[in-house]
Amino acid sequence: MPNRALAFILTSLLVSACGSKPAAAPKPSFVVGWSVYVGWNPWYYMAKSGILNKWADKYNVAIRVQRFDYAPSLDAFVAKNIDACAMTNMEALDMPASANIDTTSIITGDYSNGNDALMTRHDLKLDQLPGHKVLLVEKTVSQYLFERALTLNGLEKKIDQVKLVNTSDSDIATAFIGDTSQDAVVTWKPMVSQIAKQKDVKTLFNSSQIPGEIVDLMVVRTDILKRPDGSGERFAKALAGAWYETTKLMSGPAGADTDKVLKEIAAGSEDTLESYKEQLSTTNLFYAPQAAADFTTNPEFKTKMNLVRQFCFNHALLGANTKSVDDVGIQFPDGSVQGSKDRITLRFNANYMQMAAQGKL
Amino acid sequence: MLRIDASPNRITTWTLSWFLFAAGIALYFYTSHSRHIENPEDKVVPSLTQLAQGTADAFLKPDSEQKDAGPAEGSLPAKFFSSMLWTDTVASSKRFAWSMALLVPAVLLGLHMGMFPIIGTFFLRFILFFDKIIALSVLPILFIAFGIDELSKVMLIVIGVTPTIILDSFNLTKSVPPEQIVKGFTLGAHDFGVTYRIVMKQILPRVLNSIRLNLKSIMLFLFAGEMIASQDGLAFRIALLRRHMGMNVIIPYVLWVALLLFLVDLTMRLLNKKIHPWFREA
Repeated sequence: MPNRALAFILTSLLVSACGSKPAAAPKPSFVVGWSVYVGWNPWYYMAKSGILNKWADKYNVAIRVQRFDYAPSLDAFVAKNIDACAMTNMEALDMPASANIDTTSIITGDYSNGNDALMTRHDLKLDQLPGHKVLLVEKTVSQYLFERALTLNGLEKKIDQVKLVNTSDSDIATAFIGDTSQDAVVTWKPMVSQIAKQKDVKTLFNSSQIPGEIVDLMVVRTDILKRPDGSGERFAKALAGAWYETTKLMSGPAGADTDKVLKEIAAGSEDTLESYKEQLSTTNLFYAPQAAADFTTNPEFKTKMNLVRQFCFNHALLGANTKSVDDVGIQFPDGSVQGSKDRITLRFNANYMQMAAQGKL
Repeated sequence: MLRIDASPNRITTWTLSWFLFAAGIALYFYTSHSRHIENPEDKVVPSLTQLAQGTADAFLKPDSEQKDAGPAEGSLPAKFFSSMLWTDTVASSKRFAWSMALLVPAVLLGLHMGMFPIIGTFFLRFILFFDKIIALSVLPILFIAFGIDELSKVMLIVIGVTPTIILDSFNLTKSVPPEQIVKGFTLGAHDFGVTYRIVMKQILPRVLNSIRLNLKSIMLFLFAGEMIASQDGLAFRIALLRRHMGMNVIIPYVLWVALLLFLVDLTMRLLNKKIHPWFREA
């Protein structure tokens, strides 16, 4: 009897597996990962509202959008479980690119223009920080911002004297707010907004003082993009098309219609419209594809990437065995390369943004 | 074969007990190998060479970000004792030792609750309630009460583990046959004589076993605490290495922690056997 039951289950599984196979040739399907952040929430809206599906149909591909926590989304991208992922320029370099996963950035979404901040209690000034503790997530843009803040204020040599406390981003706000003996913290929004509301807390430095250095991207694995059947190209075009249709809706004339879109985007992180708008105000989101393309092709962007890669190298983020900062090659839209030309693993591609700007998608 | 009176010979026993280890290791290296064919620098499933490199770094080199780390020179032991693995182990061990020490009053409290009805009624209901609180879900309260430095890490373990130990000691105390207590009194013992010399002696080996079973919870809370906010420790390092896929160092760390836990457990088991030779349960 049990054997018969087992055989029945197996057969029905087999039948259902065969039955679910579509008759026509399957569309190439792709998975996009995103995590909660003001500049990435639109991906949630795009999938939910059907905008992404519309573009996917136009280019005859299937696209699924999946939400992750940030660190696991990077892990999934590096492990090649997902095809495209939202990440910052720094993580694109120190996660996939340094692990020899050839990665291409196709959309420069925004740069942090105040979303990341260094805040202190007890009227502590920047030059008083050496000898004190700072709560932050080590080896992330928070530490980058912190080092830039000290460097720009001539305190470069004293960076080593500040004690960093590696604090999980999910607990950093409550940890700093709860323990009033802590002097300083570096984090990003929305935690920054909660902490800034506390009495006696002052913001000493924020990312608007280093504009264009903390950049949020949509990256695709280069081998996917270069698939011989062209499906990767079509996938990228569909992403860009959907993205700029959404940003257009987001930047529409102020009023009920735009607010409705923004509210639904905010719902992607269970946020309110007011809070989301407040976060947008400190985000330089490139609503127009031309602005994004201009930013990415501007020679200044190379200078900024250079700062980021130096930081990554100094903290062994390019791999423990990297001998020089040049070991990982970064290619820019004009074809020029920072670092090794033989080992380019991070590419900035402005084609899709330009196509969107020219209405060619 | 599968009979309950089977008596496998030595070779069978040896083969059977190591089979899953061998299969696990083989599967790991198969996965690693196939991933490395695709990408020679794969970091997710490090190869043997990468693992060896990572292990050497962990066991012999100081933390590269450590400010006062001198050049690593000298003999192997000297290198080991200034390595990041060792400094992390020392930091975590201190927290671990503190929390173990704080289990002593917990056991005593459970014992007295079981012996003295007034103390029992006073604490029992509250501890039963407190035991069901998931410590990690009230972190903000812990931060306010204990800050985010060393104290909070130890307290997280204490709050997570002590109620279990208190209740277990209480139950063990209650399970001592009342005849023995009566006998103690008839032979002229006083309250504390009965408590410490009859009851405590008997429950102690079982309490030690109960702590052994809770070692993993202690470690889990310790890791959680170190991952929330810290400057050193085994879990701090693992959390940090995760930021750039340092799996070749994380895996040796995880194995090292497993070894340490095994040794602590073994020590406690041997100690239990040594002080309570009459005790015959596992």
